[in-house]
Amino acid sequence: MQKNYNISIFYFLLFSLLLLLSGILLFEENIGLNISAISEYYLGNEEKFIPKKSIYGVLKISLPHIFAFGVFIMVLLHFLLFTHHKDTKELQLLIWLSFISAFFELFSPLLILQGFTLFAPLKLLSFILMELSLVYAIYLLFNSFMGDSKTANS
Amino acid sequence: MRFTLIKNIKKDKSLKPMLNGLFIFMLLFLVADILVKESGFGVSSNQVNITLFGDEENYIDPLSKSLFLEHIHTETFFMMMLLLTLCAVFNRLHQEKRYALLYTNIVMLSALLSILSLGLSYFYSELFISVYIFSFFLWHGFAIFILSSSLWRLNYAKKL
Repeated sequence: MQKNYNISIFYFLLFSLLLLLSGILLFEENIGLNISAISEYYLGNEEKFIPKKSIYGVLKISLPHIFAFGVFIMVLLHFLLFTHHKDTKELQLLIWLSFISAFFELFSPLLILQGFTLFAPLKLLSFILMELSLVYAIYLLFNSFMGDSKTANS
Repeated sequence: MRFTLIKNIKKDKSLKPMLNGLFIFMLLFLVADILVKESGFGVSSNQVNITLFGDEENYIDPLSKSLFLEHIHTETFFMMMLLLTLCAVFNRLHQEKRYALLYTNIVMLSALLSILSLGLSYFYSELFISVYIFSFFLWHGFAIFILSSSLWRLNYAKKL
């Protein structure tokens, strides 16, 4: 029974990696993984024929992500409660880091649109931190669940 | 995930109708997904080929990289959430059954294969489109079978 649940979680982690990978490719394709590209994407560039984004346009993209980020991060991290990482400072840090970086990743574009271009590095930093923290959570889960199944088999 | 903790789901007056509702909505989602794909993205090799790479004779543009990645991204999210929930309930309702593990592996692997083969079709070779079509129907078919089996077991099986 436990083995069946572990198998489902194992596949969920593989899907999570695919989700993160497609997210990185999408970010790179649509916005670009550097600060000037992020500023240009939101504030526009006449020479490159890039139109300025509207608040409505940014919110339209953010809206499904607000729900999806919350659910995905919660589901992924709650599996760590079934491992020896439960009640550790590492998990506490991971929870805070994931949710806070996801928050800034979603809402820093609104501040960039208000003219605060210094939030462009924050957008990039929060995206990288969110991806890294989630990849680290996946790594911890892989280690824990694979360790469990080895113990169960022996 | 409370259904994993309750001993007798069949006798639980609240959880049983909730799970029935969940199964019916999941079934509707899977059927609707096939119908929507049939009228849009395509469910045959020829249709998917035209969607991905366009058709000059009929003035259909190929799918842009950005739109393709968006498609893969949203598909992956819905798929992983649906299958995690589905397999958790299925394994709870089919405890001690050896085939439960086999079915979990088949539905998960075919779903993963459908995403990977679609990516390979777009970036590598259109030969992978037929793998995508096969795995798409395999995971949908198995998911519908697993759901129907869980519905039957929840409502009609004598013992869980």
